[in-house]
Amino acid sequence: MSNIVIDIDNVSFNYGMIPVLKDISLKIHEDEFIGIIGPNGSGKSTLLKLILGLLKPDKGVIKKYNQKCQHKRHHIGYVPQHVNFARDFPVTVEEVVMMGHITTSSLFFKFNKDEVSSAMRAMQTLEIEDIAKRQIGSLSGGQLQRVLIARALVCQPNILILDEPTSNVDVRVEEDIFALLKNFSEHMTIIVVSHDIAFISGYVDRVACLNLTMVCHDTESISGKMIEELYGTPVKMIHHHH
Amino acid sequence: MTEFFTALSEYTFLQNAIIACVLASISCGVIGSYIVVKKISFLTGGIAHSVLAGMGMAYFFNASPILGAIIAALVSSILIGWINLRWKEHEDILIAAFWSAGMATGILFLSRTPGYNVDLMSYLFGNILLITGNDLLLMLVLDIVVLGIVMVCYKHFLVSVFDEEFARLHGINTEFFYILLLCLISITIVILIQLVGLILVIALLTLPAATANQYVTSLYKMFFLSAAICAGISISGIAISYEPDLPTGSVIVLLACISYFASVFLKHSLRRKLSA
Repeated sequence: MSNIVIDIDNVSFNYGMIPVLKDISLKIHEDEFIGIIGPNGSGKSTLLKLILGLLKPDKGVIKKYNQKCQHKRHHIGYVPQHVNFARDFPVTVEEVVMMGHITTSSLFFKFNKDEVSSAMRAMQTLEIEDIAKRQIGSLSGGQLQRVLIARALVCQPNILILDEPTSNVDVRVEEDIFALLKNFSEHMTIIVVSHDIAFISGYVDRVACLNLTMVCHDTESISGKMIEELYGTPVKMIHHHH
Repeated sequence: MTEFFTALSEYTFLQNAIIACVLASISCGVIGSYIVVKKISFLTGGIAHSVLAGMGMAYFFNASPILGAIIAALVSSILIGWINLRWKEHEDILIAAFWSAGMATGILFLSRTPGYNVDLMSYLFGNILLITGNDLLLMLVLDIVVLGIVMVCYKHFLVSVFDEEFARLHGINTEFFYILLLCLISITIVILIQLVGLILVIALLTLPAATANQYVTSLYKMFFLSAAICAGISISGIAISYEPDLPTGSVIVLLACISYFASVFLKHSLRRKLSA
């Protein structure tokens, strides 16, 4: 078995009096492509925020590379579900991608050569170099998602975390993005949150089903009955192969 | 208008006024851009009005009103920012409270100050033609402070304003930069008070930047364009108001409104023409 990169041990989290996550344990291995699924309000985004260190668990610990949560946050690339910016925010695609480099010690306007070239590489990987000078608000949902993925990639993370990366795009773009992620997963740990189990099961190695508590499955073993247990209602499941 | 230009070559007070416009426009363009993209113009209005508390107290204790204004602006922006971070859902109530409490406190102190101060009206509505060499020096110093901080922390401000969660993930203390931004806003308000007065400050801090926002794709370009628009508007305001002896601050503010709406209208009809 390969190294464990994230070890979630018996973690619980409440928003005020409302329990969101209860006794969650999950070990994520190096270069694994794992999907976290669950209905709305099941605590998927909360779990991601705990992993990222943006929230602190009420109980239990999350270790990354066997370290405590607060350190080495920059080893993780994060693609949020949506960014709440005004459509007319004056910033170009290139500038958003460059934000991936910004840390507490980045002073003044300029970025150095290494930073510029790694941003260029990330934009080439995501095929967005021809829209580099466009204003961010003028992009389509799929283009914006690619920009946010490029921004997460510029600091060359070992772990990439995506929160519903395809919630605002059509099926064709969704397939493109997941095919890209599948490529990345050869040399990167990828954690992706989704509510669409049928779709992601074609790409990920393992699925973690979350609804207050958590059950893990290998992709092969996903059945209609399991989905029914998770969502509480029968869900139509379509088998497809890639 | 020719009378204005001959007067300009003769009178120092007019020359001072023009220099003041340029100095104020620098901070105004830069900080106004942040206010517009972060959509905090009413919070800015709240800080501007609470400044009267400081000026009222300064009059009462016979101290420098502009010093009172600087202290009041900084204190209220730190307080508003700090409470707002912990009590986000009531932001509008918080602004209303600071807005009115500041003015009420100011008026209470002024009513207890012996004698009638004509200066008060000029702080409320501005009197650009009374600006002295010392005022200009103060404006220059405040400009350098504001520009210096923005230049050094440009990236931190950009990422905090654009995507707060992402900024925190990269270890940036977004709460610190939020309060720092409010402090820079309050310094800019003090610079602008002499130009248009605290009641009209909000117009110069938002309208030129909002006009500029329609034509730029980067924040730093917005700084330059809105500073240029701000300078253009305030200098034309002085020129227009000089001969018929109109209140300069009001003319400047109306020009800012007119240029904003004209720009929105032009942009809209241009887009329609292009898509037709």
